[in-house]
Amino acid sequence: MMPAKTMGVKIKMTIDGKEYECEPNQTVLDVAGANGIPIPTLCFNPLFASHRSGSCRMCLVEVVAGGRPGLQPSCTLPVSSGLSVSTVSKQVYRARRLAVEFLVSEHTQKCRDCPASGGCTLAKFCRDYDINGVPVCSECPNQRESCLLKRGVLCMGPITYANCNAYCTRKGYRCEGCHSTLVNEDVLRFGLAAYRDAGFRAEDILEGAEVFAHDKVSILEAVMKREGML
Amino acid sequence: MKVHVEHLTRVEGHGDIVLNAGSGKLESVQWRVTEAPRLFESFVVGRPYHQLAQITSRICGICSIGHTLASLKATEAALGVEISTQSAMLRRLALHAENLQSHILHIGYLVAPDLFGAGSVFPLIETHPAAVHNIVKLHRISNEMSDLVCGRTTHPTNLVVGGVWKVPSEKSLIEIRQKLVDCVDTFNDVARVVLANAERLPAFSRETEYVALGSEIEYALYDGAIASTDTGRHPVDDYRSVVNEFVVPQSTAKYCRHARDSYMVGALARFNLNHDKLTPLAKQWARKFGLYPVNCNPFMNNVAQVVEFGHSLEDSIALINKMLNRGLKDEARQKITPKAGHGVGAIEVPRGILFHDYTYNDKGVCAKANCVIPTNQNHGNIQKDMEAFAPTLLDRPGREIELNLEMLVRAYDPCISCSTHCMKVRFKL
Ligand code: SF4
Ligand code: SF4
Repeated sequence: MMPAKTMGVKIKMTIDGKEYECEPNQTVLDVAGANGIPIPTLCFNPLFASHRSGSCRMCLVEVVAGGRPGLQPSCTLPVSSGLSVSTVSKQVYRARRLAVEFLVSEHTQKCRDCPASGGCTLAKFCRDYDINGVPVCSECPNQRESCLLKRGVLCMGPITYANCNAYCTRKGYRCEGCHSTLVNEDVLRFGLAAYRDAGFRAEDILEGAEVFAHDKVSILEAVMKREGML
Repeated sequence: MKVHVEHLTRVEGHGDIVLNAGSGKLESVQWRVTEAPRLFESFVVGRPYHQLAQITSRICGICSIGHTLASLKATEAALGVEISTQSAMLRRLALHAENLQSHILHIGYLVAPDLFGAGSVFPLIETHPAAVHNIVKLHRISNEMSDLVCGRTTHPTNLVVGGVWKVPSEKSLIEIRQKLVDCVDTFNDVARVVLANAERLPAFSRETEYVALGSEIEYALYDGAIASTDTGRHPVDDYRSVVNEFVVPQSTAKYCRHARDSYMVGALARFNLNHDKLTPLAKQWARKFGLYPVNCNPFMNNVAQVVEFGHSLEDSIALINKMLNRGLKDEARQKITPKAGHGVGAIEVPRGILFHDYTYNDKGVCAKANCVIPTNQNHGNIQKDMEAFAPTLLDRPGREIELNLEMLVRAYDPCISCSTHCMKVRFKL
């Protein structure tokens, strides 16, 4: 609690170029919420409003003036006089998108089995931030003949989440799939076609995916069945 | 008086120290391992032979190269696979890279604060900027070497059953050699700073059995037989008769004992057993620190790590020279035929001797696995050292007792989370 004498004293801060009046004990997220400015959150729960960990990184805003410049979680950022933040800058969008990407890379997206299906915030964020995931191949410089698949090496790149800048395949090692298997059916179908063209067996692909994506093998299997590979 | 250090910091994993004393007498002192079990041995069962190293490498983020190599050696022993001389040289280089990474991490970031009387490495950035800079430089080169030889700084992709995936280019080896040569002076500077503050290491000694790999031809890291300061040499396949794992109530990790109640593995054990095979630079630093075999002060494990850093640095340069002189050969990858078999692989990782033991069925699928991790083998010895060390501290203030006991555990450079993988969990339904 703030000391009584500071209560009632209003201060002014700026969000997206517009000035708002607020209480000194509010956070930027509070002020945005009170004024209808959308800031996405995952780990913030209004029922436990006093508990703010800033850990999901979805509520990041960019401080442009009146504070340490850069990205900060708005749920833990106290307002101060003269503070100015942006909720819509390119940096903010990129950082939030990355946060969702990291979250879903560890998520099975077996939406049909999930009780939240339909009302899932994470799924909504995936749509909002246009995340399907792209495979390691999209970052890999091995074109055509130097592709490991062409040399008979079972590279997991075609069905593995990118974001490592193809760390291993770039140097000529196979991707072992350490970023986990993709789950978007369209993307997977594309990757599976690459395997089929190179003549790899479905069982071996599944075995390879087991190491880092045991939880996603059933999804992969289902897509393989629909594609007639199993 | 009670001392309770819950979740000791600057070690890997979770362990507690609990001490009870009354009127100047020690009632009990206990090293408790509280880390949750990891169960790796269970989940490699059913996996094909070429995935085992890939999976078991993840037991540890620090010793991932060592786990990979122990795993590959066990698999190769089981499947009857021989590797080429060049591959063996590259693997030795990989192991040196890990030794360099791990030792500098431990000495530089985890132990140095004790020696300088600071709480962590961060205040040292202000007070000893040159030393911190040098430590980071050594760490960086170690990582670069690992990246070159292993394909990554941790969790190697280049080390595979039957040898290596790809031989580094001559150019890249020459480059890394130059960097290593440049590091010798940097290392000497760091070692000098450690030496200048080494009087903070307590003078404590307790007769101990030391176990490490031993070899006639080299300072054994990659290859050798099991050697003990008490009982001499034993074949690697007999490792179970050396480690004798047992369970204690205060720990989720198993303990080990051999000729005595406990034994110690790690840099000090290797030094005590194999000191005569160290490189000149390493020997020179051992002398400067007054480290002579057999040294029974566990705190000198820190010093042995400094000495070994010098060894790995110099021996890496020598190994690269040897490889370049032989001429690099682009060897085809070995074709492996899976078959049923059983094999044990032993390796010296930074924290001591590591065993992987696999049984494969005729399809090359793992049927049974056992891994004995160095820190497991040390837990018993940490406990025994504590029982002997704590009574000598009782006249000091509580905070100092705490600090000294912490330093004792830290000297072992324990990797606690790796060591707790062995617990069998039985669920009652
Ligand atoms: S399959 Fe592997 S080597 Fe080929 S393009 Fe994809 S990531 Fe690169
Ligand atoms: S194994 Fe991991 S780091 Fe390497 S290319 Fe594949 S996803 Fe990237």
